[in-house]
Amino acid sequence: MNRRYWLLPLTAILALVLPLAAQQFQFHLEHLAAKASDTVDLSLNGPTLQFAAKFLDSDDPEEAQVKKLLASIEGIYIRSFEFKREGAYSPADLDGIRNQLKSPDWSRIVEVTSAEEGETSEVYVRTENKKVTGVALICAAPKELTVVNIAGPVDLDSLAELSGHFGLPKLKEAKPGKRM
Amino acid sequence: MDWLEEELKQALGRKMPPSDFASRVTAAARGRGSCMRVWLAVAAALLLASGGALEYREYRGRVAKERVLLALRITAERLNYIQARAQRPSHRPPNASVEVRQ
Repeated sequence: MNRRYWLLPLTAILALVLPLAAQQFQFHLEHLAAKASDTVDLSLNGPTLQFAAKFLDSDDPEEAQVKKLLASIEGIYIRSFEFKREGAYSPADLDGIRNQLKSPDWSRIVEVTSAEEGETSEVYVRTENKKVTGVALICAAPKELTVVNIAGPVDLDSLAELSGHFGLPKLKEAKPGKRM
Repeated sequence: MDWLEEELKQALGRKMPPSDFASRVTAAARGRGSCMRVWLAVAAALLLASGGALEYREYRGRVAKERVLLALRITAERLNYIQARAQRPSHRPPNASVEVRQ
């Protein structure tokens, strides 16, 4: 086969695969979008983050903080759904994600569950050579589901320090479901 | 010296231009003018295109920045919520369980 005929499908495949390469696990939650009353779907790869960082003002203390944070992050991937009714997603949806967040690559560092409120929040970190190379969050409430993957050596404390900036509520008042 | 005078007279004498001289000069001048107009149009188009490209880049940058800030907002909000629930047992609902591995 002529070399040219290989190049086109190869380029197409690479174009599809490369943006996913930075995402460290698959969400498989696309089917929930139809049931959700509010959906946030953000896939920001490294080049997009670096491009956005150029438009952050270094003289502004808040934006400078974000710029510093972005310098090491390789991607941010978020799916967040709000539902009008409970039971829109199944435990299997969460298990599909949890099954990918297994050791040795991933370890769960925090799990907060409330049987009464039906809420589960989990924080996972991905480590390589004792260094954090990724973070995953799963926040599941009866009418809400948020899954986050931050790829790259992210500092969780720096991320949490953004509290109080950009309209974020301070730690004391933090409550899910009150997104900006 | 008659032959020399004769040659000089001929060389320096008034000559009528060829019949198409005027039309050739006019055509050349018109050509230069239209060429200049083409270059001006090209320069203007380039200027507009580069201005548009810059504006579009600015727009894409602003959109990317807003998306990044939204992503960080959502992430920080969730992290803070989890931290608050994990660190403050008094704020925990009665049936809550917390597991923290460091």
